[in-house]
Amino acid sequence: MSTKQQNAGKTALNFLRNNTVPLMFIIICAVCIPISGFSPSYLLNEIITRLGRNAFLILSLLIPIMAGMGLNFGMTLGAMAGEMALIFVSDWQIWGIPGVVLAMIVSIPFSVILGLICGKILNMAKGREMITSYIISFFINGIYQLIVLYLMGSVIPIAHGSIKLPRGYGIRNTVSLLNMRQCIDNLLAIRIGGVKIPALTLLIIALMCLLIVWFRRTKLGQDMRAVGQDMQVARDAGINVERTRIISIVISTVLAGFGMILYLQNIGNLSTYSAHSQVGMFCIAALLVGGASVDRASIGNVFLGVTLFHLMFIVAPQAGAKITGDSMIGEYFRVFVSYGVITLALIMYEMKKRRQKASIGEQLALAQKEEEQHE
Amino acid sequence: MKEKMASFVASFGLPRLIITGFLLALFILAPIVGVDLPMQITNVINRFSWNAILVLAMVPMVHSGCGLNFGLPLGIISGLLGATMSLEFGFTGPMSFIMAVVISTPFALVLGMGYGALLNRIKGGEMMIATYVGFSSVSFMCMMWLLLPYHKADMVWGLAGKGLRTTISLEGYYDKVLSNFLQINIGKVSIPVGALLLFALLAFAMWAFLHTKTGTAMTAVGSNATFAKAAGIKVDKIRMLSVVMSTWLAAIGILVYEQGFGFIQLYMAPFYMALPAVSAILIGGASVNKATIMNVILGTFLFQGIVTMTPTVMNSVIHTDMSEVIRVIASNGMILYALTRRSEVTR
Amino acid sequence: MNNKRKWIFRGCTLLAILLIAVLMFIVGRGHTVYIDNKTLEYNGESYGALQKSEVWVGGERLSKLGKRDRTMTTVIGNSFEMKLINTVNKGDEPTETTVKISLPYGWDGILVNIPGYLANLPQEAWMTEFIIEPTAEEATDEEETTEDDIPMGDF
Repeated sequence: MSTKQQNAGKTALNFLRNNTVPLMFIIICAVCIPISGFSPSYLLNEIITRLGRNAFLILSLLIPIMAGMGLNFGMTLGAMAGEMALIFVSDWQIWGIPGVVLAMIVSIPFSVILGLICGKILNMAKGREMITSYIISFFINGIYQLIVLYLMGSVIPIAHGSIKLPRGYGIRNTVSLLNMRQCIDNLLAIRIGGVKIPALTLLIIALMCLLIVWFRRTKLGQDMRAVGQDMQVARDAGINVERTRIISIVISTVLAGFGMILYLQNIGNLSTYSAHSQVGMFCIAALLVGGASVDRASIGNVFLGVTLFHLMFIVAPQAGAKITGDSMIGEYFRVFVSYGVITLALIMYEMKKRRQKASIGEQLALAQKEEEQHE
Repeated sequence: MKEKMASFVASFGLPRLIITGFLLALFILAPIVGVDLPMQITNVINRFSWNAILVLAMVPMVHSGCGLNFGLPLGIISGLLGATMSLEFGFTGPMSFIMAVVISTPFALVLGMGYGALLNRIKGGEMMIATYVGFSSVSFMCMMWLLLPYHKADMVWGLAGKGLRTTISLEGYYDKVLSNFLQINIGKVSIPVGALLLFALLAFAMWAFLHTKTGTAMTAVGSNATFAKAAGIKVDKIRMLSVVMSTWLAAIGILVYEQGFGFIQLYMAPFYMALPAVSAILIGGASVNKATIMNVILGTFLFQGIVTMTPTVMNSVIHTDMSEVIRVIASNGMILYALTRRSEVTR
Repeated sequence: MNNKRKWIFRGCTLLAILLIAVLMFIVGRGHTVYIDNKTLEYNGESYGALQKSEVWVGGERLSKLGKRDRTMTTVIGNSFEMKLINTVNKGDEPTETTVKISLPYGWDGILVNIPGYLANLPQEAWMTEFIIEPTAEEATDEEETTEDDIPMGDF
């Protein structure tokens, strides 16, 4: 084979390797969509809705990846902060857009505290950030339950009995957010032939994207990228590595809090004890489906990921029902695919890391050999 | 004197001390608040016997440097396959338990080898990937439990006639088959000697193995892989062996758990089953790269003690069941503590 | 010098955020306004319900109230405006009135009585706080599930 053909082959292989997950998903969707029988306008409407609902949350994952902290399973902490803020705002009877804004503001102190805790613990577990953040999310979930299930209503004053459990303290399983439901979505909604486009929500997401692009160019952003590349080099260059890492987690947590509030405002209903755990897992899966990896993620990954992941999510149960006659198969299938995709992405990342290490070793050996030959 | 205390606390581990103290307090409180102490002690011993083998399954992989086995669900699935197939093939009574063990073994070996091969190619990121391998396989099996051709009447859904039920009762099969075997009653406390014997057997076998040549090689690989390689030990093969052992022990472990619990739990039940086992061994004093049999025994006892005693005692004292939340905070806090340590050495 | 500027900047941002929060608090207060067309007894006098009252809120007709009817609407903010097209007795000519009320901050539910308002009575006569008793069905809510929920639902 000529060198040109070899190179082309190598680039093709590299392309396949780097984009295995999105390609797989495109194939799955291409197969399942026609089987499921959904109309294109229905799918389009669903995707746009889900984009508006989830994109902000997934954007919050970008910053820790930039800083080398891997997939931030601790975004669940931000989600919990947003939920607590919403519970309070609900209880204070602040509705509509002012309610959403107030909830975002109230969530900031909660997010900052939780983010600081998470960041500090992650600094104590360098090299094992992902599994640690994964366990942190469970741990803080326990503390969240302690607060919401036992302290709210008893030690923390909650005025309205309608959101408390019958026993008098603790918040119910579902808190209705009817009075702010879709208030941001509806404000500048554009309806084109059966498809509802929540313009304001998308505007907010676009602003966030611009903010992230601008942030990458600031000193703090550059510091984070340096820390993400190589902690030792960054430390030698005078960057306070620990502090930068903690800041990246705090920013991510605050953004996750805002994102969760946007998400819940779209759904209109808060599942007090289960909303945040689902959100964490599915957001990370969606980001990975968009082609991101543990050490590199871009805004394009976010949008591609939301589209592909949710397409699969919508059509899988129906397609499963049509193929096997049992709709549960489709539901389990989409759960399996969500986890499978994360597994695959993690495996590929680790293998790439080892390949890079091996190739550096090879290059070193090659360089040494050349040196010896020159002597 | 103060120095001795300080060094004792440091070596025992502060969280462990807190948890032990908490459990002791519960035991002391129990009769005072009117909880039936002999029954609770029986419960604790029973739960110990069900869970100990699952915790034991952690030991091989910790020794060989693969970290905490968050991928325990793979072994559990092998056990579930063995259990369901043993019932499907018509075995009953104690025979069904033995056949379940026999049938799980090849599955455990195959799955273990695949899992081990995977882990060998991703050295350094084992724990995170193990977690997700576990999740993916559980959700994959969820689909399989619906599709595989099981036909036994008391295992499948009545209406459709196909697809396994979520929980399958083991009455008439191997419910309590080990616990009742050689059961001893001391006063009002009943001890499931059979189950404890099996655990003792396996624990002793593990201890003995770790002192053989292969066993010491395994420990060497875990302590310093490069050194072990230089000493001529086949690192990958040893790691693979540890993974297979862990998977097989997990399969046995879930079968023992089922015989105590009385039900086979399918679908999403194995999903989070790794976490209690992981935190139990950590509570027992293990770390990410060091675990002894003593850790297993102590840890399982402390963990199950807390899980059993907290609801009953708390309920009697403050009439609120905060046990679930306490369990979540304690067990995950323990895992966090272990993950944030540098490599440590404990008894 | 630079350090001082940084802190001033941060202080101002914090202040701005707090001000926005307070603003949201006031502007976003939600109330449910119940509008009654019932006979009102006050100070011995009785103010009769109207034959018919059409309630218009925000340019759309909310409801047509006969005698003893009640309707409700949600309001965000501290003022409420509605237009009433009233027919006092059967066969009368309908008359239009615009009603502008400021809602007390602390009340979740506010009950407005039309006959009382139209009779220009003092505010306490025709505007009262409306408190909903939690119904029996809410009391049978399930116990809290704190189980580690396995993600299966829609997202």
